Amino acid sequence: MNVRTRRLRVCLVWLACLGMLVSEAYAEKVYVQSKSAPLWAGKTSLSQTVATVQFGQELEVVRKEDPWLEVRTSDGVTGWISANRTTTTKPSGSESLFAKAGQAFRQTGAAPVTASTGARGLDKVSEMYANSSGIPKQYQDAVDRMATYRISDQEVEGFLKDGRLGEYAR
Amino acid sequence: MRGNASLTVLRRLSVGLVVAVTLVGCAEVQQAAEGVARQVGGERMAGAVRGGATLVSGVLPIGYEEEQSIGAALALQVLARYNGVYDQPALTRYVNLVGRAVALTSDRPEIEYHFAILNHDSINAFATPAGYVFITKGLLKQIQNEAELAAVLGHEIGHISEKHILEIMQRNKQLAGVAEGGLAAVGRYPQLFKGLIDQTAKKLLDEGLDQNKELAADRLGALFAARVGYDPQAYVALLRRLRTLKGDDQAFFKTHPNFSSRIDEVQTGLRTLRQPLAGTLLAERFTQSLRGRL
Repeated sequence: MNVRTRRLRVCLVWLACLGMLVSEAYAEKVYVQSKSAPLWAGKTSLSQTVATVQFGQELEVVRKEDPWLEVRTSDGVTGWISANRTTTTKPSGSESLFAKAGQAFRQTGAAPVTASTGARGLDKVSEMYANSSGIPKQYQDAVDRMATYRISDQEVEGFLKDGRLGEYAR
Repeated sequence: MRGNASLTVLRRLSVGLVVAVTLVGCAEVQQAAEGVARQVGGERMAGAVRGGATLVSGVLPIGYEEEQSIGAALALQVLARYNGVYDQPALTRYVNLVGRAVALTSDRPEIEYHFAILNHDSINAFATPAGYVFITKGLLKQIQNEAELAAVLGHEIGHISEKHILEIMQRNKQLAGVAEGGLAAVGRYPQLFKGLIDQTAKKLLDEGLDQNKELAADRLGALFAARVGYDPQAYVALLRRLRTLKGDDQAFFKTHPNFSSRIDEVQTGLRTLRQPLAGTLLAERFTQSLRGRL
């Protein structure tokens, strides 16, 4: 092997490395725009689920076959997702940085009335409002029942499947 | 002169501290900032830092925890004004499933949504912040398939995802000159929270939101329904049916634009839709779910 051939090979290896770096930097990304979504083994909802991705999760696009996207998760799992459940811009979530900052300030002096969210619909603040406004107990209980009424994501997926909605239509 | 220079430094330091608190959004940092200001400038300077931070918090967007308190308080008003919940477990479950399916791919899928049927024969639907959605028994009776129901619920989810009510709340707060209107203020001034909720409830239930907000929610309703696979033209069909039933004179519509404007808006929106228009109606499932339950 002469010097010229060796140089050519080294040059090709460098070019290949550079190409890989460039493709990594410019790999198309999408984000999950759904509370959760299944990743399918094939581009059909009749195939196996390989993973469940969550709202806001970043996915690398491997291939596009409208209306499906083949994507790779940060854990290296590859699967197909319905394009309708993704977005190209990172979702901000229910609270922006500014909203969180505002909330942190408001809570500074709020110790006696800090809301106990999750367990009930009415926290101390809205309960105080209900009492001061003379809202009957039956309506307070109704808001509690509404807030604690639970339907799992699996039940919603089952409902979509029964109605052949979303990716189950195909 | 030297005194003026040190005062300027202190002022700059205070401004810097307030900005730091704003950026970090942390109570401990705010307390530290107040402490430093107290040491260098006494109680007056500490008060200025605290006041600055409070002023900043008053104009910052409302956080989710506060949104939940507002949403629940307004939901109480909706229930009190519309004769409470229509208690039919199977029907409530069905409405919740349709609503959750639409919310799943809405613009704000990450929060919990709660759907209820109001025991009222008027034709109406409402949303309050943090995911509370109501539809009257009267409107359910006018709906003919699941795609129409999906678009109606999508319209309400649109109000929540766009934070239309919170915008009004924020505006009322600023108009009232309230810099501190969050949970912290409630403990000290419960009447302030009550006043703001009552004012917002009046806007929501009596006067109606801005017409542009209603039209935006109409567009989103059709879009969210289409995203999940329903036929968005079903919403146009429902609005046409309601126009026939209720007429189209703007003078009779206190809370919404007239039906012709809403139909035009939805159709304009559908023309720019990426999703295929050939969705499903699911009339059979809707009829079965409602049979004997209204």
